[in-house]
Amino acid sequence: MKKRIFTIIALVVFAASSCKNLDVNPSDAISTGTIVTTSDGLTNALNGAYALFKDHIEFNGLVDQNNMYLRQFYHLSDFASDDIVCGQVTTDPLYYSFSLGHSPSQGNTRYYWYISYKIITGVNTVIDAVEKSGKTDAKTNQLLGECYFLRAFCHFNLVRLFGKPYSVDPNAPGIILRTNLTDDAKKARSTVKEVYDSVIADSEKAATLMTQPRGVQYASQEAAWSLLARVNLYKEDNAKAIEWSNKVINSGKFTLATKATYPALFANATTASETIFCVAFTTVDDYGKFGSIASMIYSDGNSGWGEEYASSSLRAAMAPHPEDVRWSYIVPAKDGSGNVQKKNGIEMYYISKFSFQGGSPNLSSPIMFRIAELYLIRAEAEAKTGAAPAALDDVDEIRKNRGLEGSLYNKVLPAGKTALDVVLDEKRIEMAFEGHRTYDVFRNKRTLNKAYWGYHLAGLKETDIDLSKTPTGYPNLTVPYTNPRTIYYIPIDEVLSNPLATQNP
Amino acid sequence: MIRKLLLICTCALLFCLPGFSQTLPVTGRVVAALDKQPMPGVTVSVKGTTIGGMTNTNGEFSLNVPAGKATLVVRFVGYLPKEVAVTAGQTNIQVQLAEDVQQLNDVVVVGYTSKKQNELTSAVTVVSANKLKDVTANDIGTMLQGKVAGLNVVNSSGAPGAVAEIRLRGVSSVNASQSPLFVVDGIIGGNYDPNDVESITVLKDAGATALYGSQANAGVIIVTTKSAKQGETRFEAKISTGFRTADFGKMNLMNSNELYDYQKEFYRDYIVGAPDNSYKIDLVKFYAERPLSLRNQNYNWSKESFKSAPVYNFYLSASGKTEKNDYYVGASYYKEKGTFVNTNFERVNLRGNSTYHFSKKLDVTNNINLSASQGKSYDYMDVYYSFLNMPWDNPYDAAGNPIYVDGNSAFKWWSRDKINPLNTVQNSDHSYKGFNVNYDLGINYRITNWLTFASTNRVSASFDKGTNYVSPVAAGTYHGKGYIDELNTLNYGVISNQLFKFDFRLGDHSISGFVGGAFESSKNEYSGGSGQGLPEGLKVLSVASNTQLVNGANSKYILQSLISQVNYNYKEKYFLSGSYRYDGSSNFAPSKHYGGFPSVSAAWLASNEEFLSDNSVINNLKIRGSYGITGTQDIGASRYLGLFSLTTQYNSLVGAVPYQLASPNLTWESKRQINAGIDIGLFKRVNLTVDVYRNDTKDLLLQVSQPLSVGFETKWENAGSVINKGIEVGINSTNIKTKDFEWNTDFTINFNNNKLEGFPSDIVKTGSWSISQIYRNGGNLFEFYMPKWLGVDAQTGAPVWEKVIYNTEGKAVAREKTSDYAQATIQEVGSALPKFQGGFNNSFRYKNFNLRVSTYFNYGNKVFSNNLRFMMNDGHEPYYNQIKLPDGAKVWSGPGDTQATEPSPQNSANSTENSTRYLKDGSYFTIRNIAFSYTLPTAWANKIAMKGVSVGVTADNVATFSNFLGQDPQTTITPNSFSTPGVSDFKYPNNRQYLLTVNFNF
Repeated sequence: MKKRIFTIIALVVFAASSCKNLDVNPSDAISTGTIVTTSDGLTNALNGAYALFKDHIEFNGLVDQNNMYLRQFYHLSDFASDDIVCGQVTTDPLYYSFSLGHSPSQGNTRYYWYISYKIITGVNTVIDAVEKSGKTDAKTNQLLGECYFLRAFCHFNLVRLFGKPYSVDPNAPGIILRTNLTDDAKKARSTVKEVYDSVIADSEKAATLMTQPRGVQYASQEAAWSLLARVNLYKEDNAKAIEWSNKVINSGKFTLATKATYPALFANATTASETIFCVAFTTVDDYGKFGSIASMIYSDGNSGWGEEYASSSLRAAMAPHPEDVRWSYIVPAKDGSGNVQKKNGIEMYYISKFSFQGGSPNLSSPIMFRIAELYLIRAEAEAKTGAAPAALDDVDEIRKNRGLEGSLYNKVLPAGKTALDVVLDEKRIEMAFEGHRTYDVFRNKRTLNKAYWGYHLAGLKETDIDLSKTPTGYPNLTVPYTNPRTIYYIPIDEVLSNPLATQNP
Repeated sequence: MIRKLLLICTCALLFCLPGFSQTLPVTGRVVAALDKQPMPGVTVSVKGTTIGGMTNTNGEFSLNVPAGKATLVVRFVGYLPKEVAVTAGQTNIQVQLAEDVQQLNDVVVVGYTSKKQNELTSAVTVVSANKLKDVTANDIGTMLQGKVAGLNVVNSSGAPGAVAEIRLRGVSSVNASQSPLFVVDGIIGGNYDPNDVESITVLKDAGATALYGSQANAGVIIVTTKSAKQGETRFEAKISTGFRTADFGKMNLMNSNELYDYQKEFYRDYIVGAPDNSYKIDLVKFYAERPLSLRNQNYNWSKESFKSAPVYNFYLSASGKTEKNDYYVGASYYKEKGTFVNTNFERVNLRGNSTYHFSKKLDVTNNINLSASQGKSYDYMDVYYSFLNMPWDNPYDAAGNPIYVDGNSAFKWWSRDKINPLNTVQNSDHSYKGFNVNYDLGINYRITNWLTFASTNRVSASFDKGTNYVSPVAAGTYHGKGYIDELNTLNYGVISNQLFKFDFRLGDHSISGFVGGAFESSKNEYSGGSGQGLPEGLKVLSVASNTQLVNGANSKYILQSLISQVNYNYKEKYFLSGSYRYDGSSNFAPSKHYGGFPSVSAAWLASNEEFLSDNSVINNLKIRGSYGITGTQDIGASRYLGLFSLTTQYNSLVGAVPYQLASPNLTWESKRQINAGIDIGLFKRVNLTVDVYRNDTKDLLLQVSQPLSVGFETKWENAGSVINKGIEVGINSTNIKTKDFEWNTDFTINFNNNKLEGFPSDIVKTGSWSISQIYRNGGNLFEFYMPKWLGVDAQTGAPVWEKVIYNTEGKAVAREKTSDYAQATIQEVGSALPKFQGGFNNSFRYKNFNLRVSTYFNYGNKVFSNNLRFMMNDGHEPYYNQIKLPDGAKVWSGPGDTQATEPSPQNSANSTENSTRYLKDGSYFTIRNIAFSYTLPTAWANKIAMKGVSVGVTADNVATFSNFLGQDPQTTITPNSFSTPGVSDFKYPNNRQYLLTVNFNF
């Protein structure tokens, strides 16, 4: 009996230790070789590229809620502008956009650079697979076109932050172009011009491929045209900028929000009449205080840090028109007696363009392209090509819908202003906080005036602040377009691992 | 009962030995040589026969011995065996057994088999329970600190339930696991309670570890749990209780007055570049912004957040032997409160070990270990704020409750963020629970007298659950909503080893060894969910009304192996041993599944030679050498595949994100280890062991940094080598040993040096806070790579870094100062790994009093004190509390201030960026533990029906001596998700611990 039991146990034990198949596949990932073989897989990979704009991806082994493509997209440009004022010194690298104390090792540029290229790598994988497959049906082409669009969009956003403006020096070092899967990992920076050429080629290709729109949450033909209009404007190819703007405006798919609908535009981006392309955030993407775009610039007391505000400079520019509905995105934090509160001496005017989707203070689907910008692109190009009346008409088109129907230019330039001044003034207000201001100033070879109280002033103390006066004596009160700190350093990781990549001065 | 057992034994013996016609009784008593106390459970046998028995409680034995002369062999674990010549019929024989100080005859468990100490051919250190138990902890690593030469133990966290990091002979791997392999009762892995541990064996060279092949790169630690030593049932009970306090090291924060005075520096009239600076402190402004009354608002946040916390440990065990059955049953309960408010940990562990002797040929061992634990963890941000909130803010309201503060609060709150961690802690919960079952089945079948079939098998399963909950009433992002997440993890697996063991003796030659197979399989499955919008008072997932998210995945790992070993010895003087393991792992691509791991080792036991026998000075001398290869594959599954992760979504549709670059040729990291050692025993009092080693880890499994512009941070590659060279010395000495007084000293030291080689190019790894380390040919592991801090510009008060000027050949030709951080040269500034470390332990016994003092030292490593980025921030964050500036530190006060060490708050751009400013010497010497105990005289103990009672007090982490600035310098040396090796952050502080322990034996 005992022997029998022992024999059985021994047999079971032997059976358990016999040879096993050692091939194990992951449960929540698919190999690159497999994913590109199905159209479902390619669609997933493309959706993943969009997701990277909003996700917090592990970086340096850590999922840091500060790290989100779009969060940095706005911080790195608008925090350097004269539209947003810093109310609190911080060790968060976002502070360097205010103080211009840039460093190659600042975490936010490193992440932004990394994720931009992760998006590009993702779409390059899809492009490579589709082109090898030889498929050319409309559905596949739409998918392929979106990939080309995203590649162009990411390359362009990078070159704006890390390379000099095209109008300043097209032969300056731009960024590293990644347009295939076969280039060596170590690669030199292309010139700004080369990057623009690639962006334009990709966008044009994207525009022809995309014929089956999937909704404003995804790239479309009109999104590609809008990007072409923007890129050509930056390139000062004004004829092309007008041409592409016209295509979008004349498509008839988008209309300017009205005085009545404008205040709800940004909270309802996916259904708004102006939206050409937005990055969709759903309720599960409501990241709260640590990870949202809104939390630095808005707080209901708990929802965010709320440490950066609409600047006195921007408010002064808007002050002549209290009836302007664009004030609806500037929310003063008032105390019990109705006075605007101050943080460290700075008046707290919260910014709500990234809030209130579904009522949440931290949720919105940020708009990458909306029709108002196309009017302003056309206006600027017109202004630059001597068509001032047309430019002013385009500006008026915007103003009519912002509660300023009583203050139109009617083709008449105000005294002492050029048409370009008028367009840029309007654009500053219309596109405020949407990541345009610094580029618009510097590519037009203008100087940013930051002579207002805020913690971008080095060593500022609360008691130094006298809101009735203009600060003097501080460094960086103005930032001319020639200041090397109008762009950021190439991230340290790139420079150290890729010696061909030169550093910015 | 014992007598009955003896009777049974004797009967059995008689029954077995019918050949002898006439026997006569021999009786006697065995006592310990030192204290003359009777020794129960001692084996007494007649040499050359199978006659034998055991002593009873009074140390008495009785055997029936064939008529005529005979030799009794008297043996007991830990004592030198003794042979006594007797004549059949002799009575009242007195035998004294002397303690085996050097334990040369002790059996050492070395993995799949066991050997006598003197047969060992490789570097092995044994630590007995006696030497472990002076420290009461939930973790064996903590107990081992300073007790094994070459073992580097770092207690990087003092959180309840935290475990120490252990590294053997330096760090030989970068991204693969560096933690030694634990083997419990002969089977890899496994769960146990420190109280149940009988001994720990540390296998240090490939001669011993190569048997564990692909899992043994970081060494092997073998844990043997207790088993019965004697016939009668023995009980042991231990009660420990005491308390812990947080040890903040040198992180002394400013009090209200100090901060007040320090902040005056912010009011210096100085605008960089302005023509009319007076450089005077503008007191008018200062007093306007900082009313004098602040001096009286002095609240110590860390003191309010970290309180002394009780610890309890109860242990009860029973063990005994019968003819058929050996058993050990142990139960432990451990509970500690954390020093940080609302944190704790408790664990209950039950173990049953039994071996049933079915017949002379067949033994079956059943071991089972059940444990359950639960505790409350903490949120990093709560710890962060309890260090950084300012002393001017009162954490409590008028009623003495933690005050609620948020962005809408009307009262003045000085601290940077309107957060009261004490209030948050009260309204949140980070609890976890776990349950773990191990069942071991061992079968030992003696097929013939030289061949045994041994099967050891384990099934294990554990379930862990973690919850994070924030109440809707807590301030912060979940205010008014509440938040909950849960994560459930199930791990289960099987390990099975089947061995045929052989053991021949042919005259002076003996050959032993085994061949067999092993199989390991484990699976991990997790699932979890989170949600918001909770009704106040309820905290389960079902009541979450919005933002619900789910997650879950599983992974699997299989390892199958052939293992073999042959040992040969001649006359117990010359020993030769060889082993080979062939492993197949599911972690690599199909073409790379299998790898082989050989080893060979030899020893010469010179003291068994004629010329040294009975030498009065040298009583033991052995020379050892070994060579072997081990490997590592512990990097997680599927690292060789190019992958898209499908864990995200966009617009509610599945998204796939590039996750990993393909590396199809990824294979084992292999470590070629050479070891030479010598063991010397002198005067039967001093044991000296010296080992020198060189370990070349080739084909490092490395996450090689990629240019970020490829869209991936790293790629898994086999790149480069690490060469660790070192020398290890262990001395234990019985300095004085008399009946009443005994003094023992243990000293261990390990010098280790590592060099990197064979990297295709320099690899720079940049972690969180952008702290970089460089891997360069000829360089060190974990070498910090950052600008050098040169202090302060005396004229401007600006920070100064070093800028190195290189010529065209890349040689440094000049060094300049720069105040532009972007111009500063990034350079190598020191490694996070120590040059040497070790322990120095002394124990004293006077009569029944025992005193043991354990110390530990660590020298020559750098620690980046990342806290200082916040707490020495030159006004960058004026609303964080600051560390008290060290002696000699001075903030710049005006042009020409050459004494200044800290930059001007008015001109401190980038001063808190990474540089050697915050990189500190991590050397330290710590009095790890002082244990004082008293053993009650046996007579007193007997009066309360006890065999032995001892009472002790211990103090842990008594004092640490270091020049480090920050929390204590013990810092993680593991490169993982949250940390760069050698970077110290706001960690849960280590504990000072004071305990009272009472031990009962009955």
